[in-house]
Amino acid sequence: MNTGLKNDRMKTVSLALMVVVGFACAVLLLRWTDTLRPPADPNAIDESLYLNGKTARRISLGFNGLMADWYWMRSLQYVGKKIINTPEDVSIDSLGQLNLKLLAPLLDTATTLDPEFMDPYEYAAIVLPAVDVQQAIRITQKGIDANPNAWKLYHHLGYIYWQQRDYQAASEMYGRGAQIPGAPAWMEAMKAKMVGDGGSRATAREIYKRMYEQAGEEQVKDMARKRLWQLDSFDQRDILRRLFADYKTRTGKCPDSWREIEPVLRALRIPVDQSGAPLDPSRTAYVLKAGECEAELDWRKSGVPLR
Amino acid sequence: MDTTVAITQSNTRAETRQGPFWRITAIARNAFREAVRDRVLYNLVLFVLLLTVAAIFIGELSGGQERKVIVDLGLSATLLFGVFIAIFVGVGLVYKEIERRTIYAVFSKPVGRGEFLVGKYLGLCLTLLVNVVVMGVGVSLALLYVKRGWDPLITTIWPAVLLIYIELMLLTAVALFFSSFSSPALSALLTFFVFIIGHFSADLKSLAVSLGSAGARWLFTGLYYLLPNLANYSFITPAAHGRAPSAGFVFASALYAFVYIAVILAAATLIFSRRNFK
Repeated sequence: MNTGLKNDRMKTVSLALMVVVGFACAVLLLRWTDTLRPPADPNAIDESLYLNGKTARRISLGFNGLMADWYWMRSLQYVGKKIINTPEDVSIDSLGQLNLKLLAPLLDTATTLDPEFMDPYEYAAIVLPAVDVQQAIRITQKGIDANPNAWKLYHHLGYIYWQQRDYQAASEMYGRGAQIPGAPAWMEAMKAKMVGDGGSRATAREIYKRMYEQAGEEQVKDMARKRLWQLDSFDQRDILRRLFADYKTRTGKCPDSWREIEPVLRALRIPVDQSGAPLDPSRTAYVLKAGECEAELDWRKSGVPLR
Repeated sequence: MDTTVAITQSNTRAETRQGPFWRITAIARNAFREAVRDRVLYNLVLFVLLLTVAAIFIGELSGGQERKVIVDLGLSATLLFGVFIAIFVGVGLVYKEIERRTIYAVFSKPVGRGEFLVGKYLGLCLTLLVNVVVMGVGVSLALLYVKRGWDPLITTIWPAVLLIYIELMLLTAVALFFSSFSSPALSALLTFFVFIIGHFSADLKSLAVSLGSAGARWLFTGLYYLLPNLANYSFITPAAHGRAPSAGFVFASALYAFVYIAVILAAATLIFSRRNFK
């Protein structure tokens, strides 16, 4: 009886041990196989989609919302991977050099699967123009056709036209969006601004301010914030240029250090650091180009986009 | 407790109450108990794990769309898990009784074949109801967690959950119908085809309109009306956008489903009544 029990226990222990050791071996073998596997094809990420939006919707069997989420997340991962593989810091509205050829089909499929899904339209309006402006216009227009009461989509399409310097078309889009019940009053103001003052810094500021307020996607919000910083930085550098000119008129030379004009900067309420250097909107000190009467962004540290 | 004994005892109790309603209730109760004993509801654990992982990690992947993704994922999983239960448990409801020969014990009592089928059907519907309600609560809790408070989407998902449940009731009836005359494997396959074609109903109709041949037009129009239109019960995507179906739409869809279920169960009873178990 005791021998039988002992045998049973031995059998249980042996089997449990076999499970643990066997699994550990499987893990080690898998890790070894991973090292032997040839490197992944770097072009695989750009492999064309097997399904277009309409086919995907047809075969979705009522799971179209979930499939749209999947394509949306794929779009974000696709852009994210490309940005990570780029050595320089790039803004999401200037990704033209990254060869994002799959982005338009991915966003198109996501919005065909779920035409009410607003974030992909926003992403198409912000990111796609640098890649393929016609696709950006087509997808945003598709969103307007599917959601004629969504004033934000008119804002997005107006933004695309504004970027293309087609201020008339941009004005028309803001005007059409302004007529939708619930649209904010600034849509009507933008309509007028586009026609009269489309290329100005004030209009750009207004657009990015509204984009920052309305953006649902964090990357878009971040881009709008950085563009606002850039506009503020342009204004700051204009002031600094005027200060340099005044200084040169008074002393006959350009300042050699920030200390020389620090009192004027403080008087103008421009934030400065401990060395007296003015700070850009990302709280990084401007670099003084001594002898040139010019201040520029510290491209290594500043969060303000250079282009 | 053995299934046969349970049914027999329940039927004995039901007999004392005299009436088809009590007999059907007894069979339904036992079908539900059997499903619970077969650990059908274990799928809820998987569902909870899925939602928990989604609620915690999906925010980072979806670009701030975690609420939409949770509703899409939660309700799609509710439908998918429900479809698997409806098909794989549904096709075995009758077959298992025949295979184990417990059906002889059941029919030795004054239980009609139609009562047996309806009881089995209602038992599985009760299992699915528990499943769907728990999953709906799970999605609501996930939304509460993600929003860190009350989310208006919680009120809009429930009409979608109701429509999913009605779709599952329809599919269960179809599975039971096929299992009344064919093997479980074939029944599962046929029910799965009905699920797929049911979601292509609109295409069947447009195909019928676009075809030149009168015969083909009749065939596809016939298929459109013969097969259940399951596309009417897909309200997951609008629910994720905070849109609920109108009460009229839900009523009409439910009425269509109940009429269709009645027809299917009547046809299943007709076939099952003529079946020889010897």
